[in-house]
Amino acid sequence: MTGLHFILKNNDLRRVKMAEKGKVYKCLNPVGIQLPVKTSPLAPRLDTLDGKTIHFSITGEPDITIALDKRLKKDYPNVNWTQKKSYTPMPVYLTDEEMKTTDGVILAVCW
Amino acid sequence: MWGQLPYIAKLEKAGIPTVIIDLEDQHEMVKQEALAAGVPQVRYLPASRTLPGPEDVDNWIEDALEALVRPLTKKEKESGMYTPSQERVLFEGTLEEAEEFYQQTRHVPPPLDAPIAIYTDGYPIVVPTEERVREMLKGTSHKPDELITYQSDRSGRFGNVIKKGSVVRFQPRNWTATVEKVAINAVMAGCKPEHLPVVLAIAESGVGTGTTVFSNQWICVSGPIAKEIGMNSGLGMLGPGNPANSVIGRAYQLMAINLGGAIPGINRMSSIGSPINRGGLAFAECAEKLPPGWKGINEQFGFKKDESVAMVMTTEGGLNGAQFSPGGYRALQKSGHGGMARKLGVKGIPGPHNWLDWIIPDIWVGEREGPRTFIMVHEMAKHLYDIGFKSKEAVLEYIWKKSFEPLKKYRDRSWVDLTTNGWMGVERTSGKPWKELPDDYMVPVAGDEPTDNCIIVCGSDEEICFEITGGPRGMWGAAPVYSIDAWR
Repeated sequence: MTGLHFILKNNDLRRVKMAEKGKVYKCLNPVGIQLPVKTSPLAPRLDTLDGKTIHFSITGEPDITIALDKRLKKDYPNVNWTQKKSYTPMPVYLTDEEMKTTDGVILAVCW
Repeated sequence: MWGQLPYIAKLEKAGIPTVIIDLEDQHEMVKQEALAAGVPQVRYLPASRTLPGPEDVDNWIEDALEALVRPLTKKEKESGMYTPSQERVLFEGTLEEAEEFYQQTRHVPPPLDAPIAIYTDGYPIVVPTEERVREMLKGTSHKPDELITYQSDRSGRFGNVIKKGSVVRFQPRNWTATVEKVAINAVMAGCKPEHLPVVLAIAESGVGTGTTVFSNQWICVSGPIAKEIGMNSGLGMLGPGNPANSVIGRAYQLMAINLGGAIPGINRMSSIGSPINRGGLAFAECAEKLPPGWKGINEQFGFKKDESVAMVMTTEGGLNGAQFSPGGYRALQKSGHGGMARKLGVKGIPGPHNWLDWIIPDIWVGEREGPRTFIMVHEMAKHLYDIGFKSKEAVLEYIWKKSFEPLKKYRDRSWVDLTTNGWMGVERTSGKPWKELPDDYMVPVAGDEPTDNCIIVCGSDEEICFEITGGPRGMWGAAPVYSIDAWR
């Protein structure tokens, strides 16, 4: 194809595109599919913290969680504190048995 | 968020009240993931990124405890079914109007505080008309309404096993997609139908993005399809110019945005972003120039030489290129002249010489510990072969053994505390707990085993080897190689 032919061919294509200028197109949705989600209420809150077993799930950010751990034990001595610690963002899960005796959970830090 | 919200949702559904301490700029991500986990009203409070811990805690500790006892609001007691509308046709109009429509932005609040495109990577796209998508779908035998599923059994993160046929969840929103959805994104990226099997293989990876650090996504195609569709594995294969490389790399990013719902400043928190993700990065392995006995990526991961695969990588960290001064590398190899020869102690001795010793151990200085992906030109690979490395595995073994350093030094690195879970696990080479090892115990910096690292041969005739942080067995065990042929 010579340079001139190339230009002519592209001019032809351009004319075709110009002719389609006013055409209305259906344009498709690129967004992923969110499957329906069954939503649940929050668990009922506690009537008091005193005497309850509250679990502290530590997930990284030691500058915050070390300070929080100290304050929880100091400021809320009537709570039975338990904890599991991960240095990663992945929490160390409570077992099903542990869940039966746990009244509440604080998770920090979520990142 | 690493399984935190599904865990919190499980606890709330089991009747255990919870409260989350997050960081303020992560609120939107918490809300999104809480909804996906089925407990949209979870209670959360922000910690500070800047205040010292004790001062920070003082600001919100009472509110955190109060969140466990404060009675539920009417909204927090609600249950139901969340079913978002998802129209197949997003827009009807002329091409000019559609181009403008797809370029729309939304303002993302601080710490980003700028407009971010809703459907695109910020560049203009090819409008995905019904006709163009139909044409694109000719690139695969898979039906348009087929959900994207895993085409083989594979290992996932943290040792999870993923079964063939499982539905792929696109990250970070955990959405799903059909073959048509992938084709729509491929059209937008500028792909042609013959590119679609590669894009579908990439889609199978779930197109993860990354969190707060310098996260890069890139793809290396191995096998005959690279030539068939005109991918560049030679000079400048990482740079602009080759249509197939460019649009396939871009398709990754568009899928991350649209199929995964990744939004900078909301759920894609890479602090400064990465130029590698701007437009996307895909290239091909130059299999025909591998030294004898060196396997291509396809064969390394259990596929045949005539099978095509995509290695889909998400790596944290940067690129570290070995810049050889003009002629310096050639002088080393031809006659043992120059600075490289002096450093290696081979002055005046003709090559081939082991140039790896010139870059090791500096690879791990000032950068993250962990494995590396080495991208080297064929001439340098051949020199290694001539020295005696008759396989990639032999090279990887050599590099790995050279990466050992005393535990005392290793402890001072940044991420090992995370990967060892605060040194609570077992060190792999000794089988002993980290905390029982002496300071002078030598540990590998380049991953747990040699094949955590990777070599890809491609590029030009000029001497260069560069390292990308991370290797194919990184990502906490995820296997990153996907069959392209399964998607033809």
